[in-house]
Amino acid sequence: MAELDTEVRLAVYRFFVDHGRPPVPVEVASALGTEQRSVEDAFRRLADAHVLVLAPGTPYIWMANPLSAIPTPFRVEAWGRTLFGTCIWDALGVVAMLGGTGTVHTWCPDCGEPSSVSVEDDRLRSGRGIVHFAVPAAHWWDDIGFN
Amino acid sequence: MLLFRSEEHVRRWYQESEMLAGATLTLEQQWELARVWYSDRLSPGWRRRTPAEAEGVFASAGLTGEFWRLTDPDIGGRQI
Repeated sequence: MAELDTEVRLAVYRFFVDHGRPPVPVEVASALGTEQRSVEDAFRRLADAHVLVLAPGTPYIWMANPLSAIPTPFRVEAWGRTLFGTCIWDALGVVAMLGGTGTVHTWCPDCGEPSSVSVEDDRLRSGRGIVHFAVPAAHWWDDIGFN
Repeated sequence: MLLFRSEEHVRRWYQESEMLAGATLTLEQQWELARVWYSDRLSPGWRRRTPAEAEGVFASAGLTGEFWRLTDPDIGGRQI
């Protein structure tokens, strides 16, 4: 990964965690003291490399996995933050990324019953249910918004 | 990648859909996968895993078989 792309990637994640939303290119450019165009180019390279997911047709971030820019049924409380993951894997991934302590709030897709999964010190503390993956691993990036 | 109350709820949700042929994981497996996959994402040295490395992560959570396969001698690997 090019040096600028690494710096942009880290700036995106830091901002996302601190603000609960992804930065727009000008915010990253300001933080890194570089040109907005350079950041947009880096966003596209990172998206091509499946490091970021951009909203279709825009230079704006939809996902910086495991973080989702839009609210989903996978809300995460961790590290004093409220964030969202795109799926249960990513929601638990947010907990893992932020130190291994936190709670994921979701609902059973079938019956709508609320459900919570809590992790403390990298150990699963509470939660029940079963996780279903619909798409085989080799095809996850065919449509990353649907897995 | 959804969390259901039970396998019965998975069956009801997908009914006769081909989606039913997906894979199910315990919460413990899902946490292990999330922990190993994402715990280093804020590290400056993070890089995407190769297909073989990703399969290794799946295997460490007990996830093996065609559904989890990313390496293929005919088409090469699928990096995720």
